[in-house]
Amino acid sequence: MGQNKKGKKELKINGSMIVLLCALVIVVGVFTFLNKNFFSYTNLVNVFVAASLVGLVAIGETYLIIAGLNDLSPGSVAAFSGVLAAILTSNMGLNFGLSLIITVAVASLAGLFNAWMVSAIKLQPFIATLVTQAIFRGIAYIICGGKPVAVTNETFINLGKARIGGNSGIPITVILLIIAFLIFGFILSRTRFGRSIYAIGGNVNAARLAGLKPGKIIVISYLLMSCLCALGGTILAARMNSGQPAACVNLEFDAITAVILGGVSFNGGIGNMMGTFLGVILIQAFNTGLTMVQVPTFWQYVARGLLLLAALTIDYVRKTNREKKLLQDSMKNL
Amino acid sequence: MGSVLEFKNITKYFPGVKALEDICFRVESGEVLAFMGENGAGKSTLLKILNGDYQPTSGKYLIDGEERRFNNPSEAIEAGISVIYQERQILMDLTVAENIFLGRLPVKGVLRQINMKEAYRRTQEIIDDFGLEMRPDDMVKDLSIAYQQMVEIMKAYSRENLKLIAFDEPTASLSDSEIDSLFRIIKKLKAEGKMIIYVSHRMQEIQTITDKIAIFKDGSYMGTYGVHEITEEELIRKMVGRDLGDVYNSLDRNKEIGEVLLEVKNFKTDYTKEVSFQLRKGEVLGFSGLVGAGRTEVMRGIIGADRPLSGEVYLEGKKIVNRDPGDAEKNGIVMVPEDRKTQGILANLGVGENITIGSLHENSSGFGIINRTKEKEMAEKGIRDFKIKTPNAEKKIVELSGGNQQKAIVARWMGTNPKVVILDEPTKGIDIGAKSEFYNMICEFAKQGLGVILVSSELPEVIGLSDRIIVMKGREITGEVSREEANEEVLLSLAMMGGKENGTK
Repeated sequence: MGQNKKGKKELKINGSMIVLLCALVIVVGVFTFLNKNFFSYTNLVNVFVAASLVGLVAIGETYLIIAGLNDLSPGSVAAFSGVLAAILTSNMGLNFGLSLIITVAVASLAGLFNAWMVSAIKLQPFIATLVTQAIFRGIAYIICGGKPVAVTNETFINLGKARIGGNSGIPITVILLIIAFLIFGFILSRTRFGRSIYAIGGNVNAARLAGLKPGKIIVISYLLMSCLCALGGTILAARMNSGQPAACVNLEFDAITAVILGGVSFNGGIGNMMGTFLGVILIQAFNTGLTMVQVPTFWQYVARGLLLLAALTIDYVRKTNREKKLLQDSMKNL
Repeated sequence: MGSVLEFKNITKYFPGVKALEDICFRVESGEVLAFMGENGAGKSTLLKILNGDYQPTSGKYLIDGEERRFNNPSEAIEAGISVIYQERQILMDLTVAENIFLGRLPVKGVLRQINMKEAYRRTQEIIDDFGLEMRPDDMVKDLSIAYQQMVEIMKAYSRENLKLIAFDEPTASLSDSEIDSLFRIIKKLKAEGKMIIYVSHRMQEIQTITDKIAIFKDGSYMGTYGVHEITEEELIRKMVGRDLGDVYNSLDRNKEIGEVLLEVKNFKTDYTKEVSFQLRKGEVLGFSGLVGAGRTEVMRGIIGADRPLSGEVYLEGKKIVNRDPGDAEKNGIVMVPEDRKTQGILANLGVGENITIGSLHENSSGFGIINRTKEKEMAEKGIRDFKIKTPNAEKKIVELSGGNQQKAIVARWMGTNPKVVILDEPTKGIDIGAKSEFYNMICEFAKQGLGVILVSSELPEVIGLSDRIIVMKGREITGEVSREEANEEVLLSLAMMGGKENGTK
């Protein structure tokens, strides 16, 4: 009996993954049909390269949304970080490693600020992180005087270009992304911190009474998010050969869409990293595909909006089904 | 012209809880029907179905023979059904007249400005009708609790189509003279042919004011009796369905009470006045009092859920400071909170994870990586030791019955090897069978040498289990009673009137 139930549960998880994989197959199929170059090695690698930025931010959003929070500032923080890293290496001549450390350290102020607003003065995450979004976008423009900063440091440039396994090998950024997913997935599912995130997302009052420290968990989650943004922004600057203050607008939008598509509940407490990974690949394939089949930019915005709507609808349906199933199951138990 | 309300086979399920099963009752014009039953018998759920707050899972209810269904309280009010809850449902910052006519204030002229004069006039009429000493333009927050309640009754009464008015323990916070004037109003409503439902625990009031008694037990309907057809003993037997004395007498209580374990000295938080008390090893210390007397707040202060303002807490003679419940757990003081749903369970997690969440540190390495084998063992041990009925540890906790959810929360805390266990209304909303399991559990904890604090609003429970009982009223301790001296009258008088020296203020 117990065994049977357990088997059913695993099947259910797979079920939701299968839906995502099907969606992915459909997206890839449709775009390949419209443009046969879509399903080529070069293009698929491009999808993954493009996904590295959204992917890193989506990892952070996964933590935050499961914890019942969210963050609208990643685009600004990433753009700021790209500009800062470019200034530190090009204008100030620091080596890349040191610049990256400084960039991450400065960007984490954004995370601390977000966490302070949310946990100490109890602002809604949506509004609080909107403040940071505006401030860091502004600072990104201020520190470079509004003009893109060229990246001249070779190590920095190589971060965007280098591949493992020769010219047609796998780009370092893709490998970094996969490593990040593995590490953060492990932390989420197997550590005390990960479990605490689920607990505070499920019921923050009960979690506090259970001896957890929600304040601390909120601070760490936002800090991780800002570090991931710094890393993502730096990678993007490397790929574009310049730190651009106007970069990454709407980055959080894609990241949140990916996370919700991947099965993280916007109500908190539910989701996993594998789902987010598939969600990221799905949304990046979608975005790349739209460009390849020459959908005009303005219409791409509309399409993305519809995709988020679809993701939220699926989230809603999942939630109602969970509640229905719960009521039925508990009636059976009585 | 007389109206009739009938409930037919009403059933209501919540996840994990069967709240009502097959409820039938009937009330007619000019009749006062009492609802009686223990806490958790389903009276409040029934009232919420009556006024459209909840939808029944099955069954129907009829008004004047016509089937009705209310999707929300305003639909019920439109149909002439009002429920007066213990908590006020009026707006404190508005005047009496504004509250009474909220949403339907009289208007005048083409611009349809609000006609306050007319509202005051009509309010004054009702006030005079009720014979009360208040003015239509009094702010509700300046009125006494009894008068605030009156405003709510007047608000219901001001609707011409009022058919039924239900009172949920209306006298809980009223003085004797206030109760008299409430009864006068109820008699007036009755004389005007309204249907009245009166929920109360107080036998004397029931006999004074009601005509019939509908009895409920564990979510089931036990029948309706004329108030003079049934003796008090019969009534209690029907409500409880067992001889309470036996349950408590058969408990294997701890007899060896040790030295002082916990000492709370002049302790005060934002939500309590200064309190001091001691708890001994192996002792069950009851905390009695009316709802809102400040018992939960004292406990929350002790475990650091609320910030202490002054005073000290000593555990085994050593001063401790709990800045949050995590500190308290490390120090060996744990609390099973009152409201399982909002403060106890983590609904998104499994039974096992709910048990082990209190012991994350014990079950993980220095880097914070959870040892899954150890965690699984602890979860399974908890499920076994506390006889939690679940197919496996992965099952979501919300799918279990209320009693089993509560056992999981207790298992969570016992897994941390505490010295002091605070149980806040541990048997609220769980069925009788599970209750006696909890009683045995409490005695077992005492025998293991733990100090147990039992906060309970159920007098038989607190009397039957405690070695000593502290009574609170108005956020301070008003008395302490030993097991031998304890009976319901003593506890109630301390809870309602305070200590002998204080008298009634």
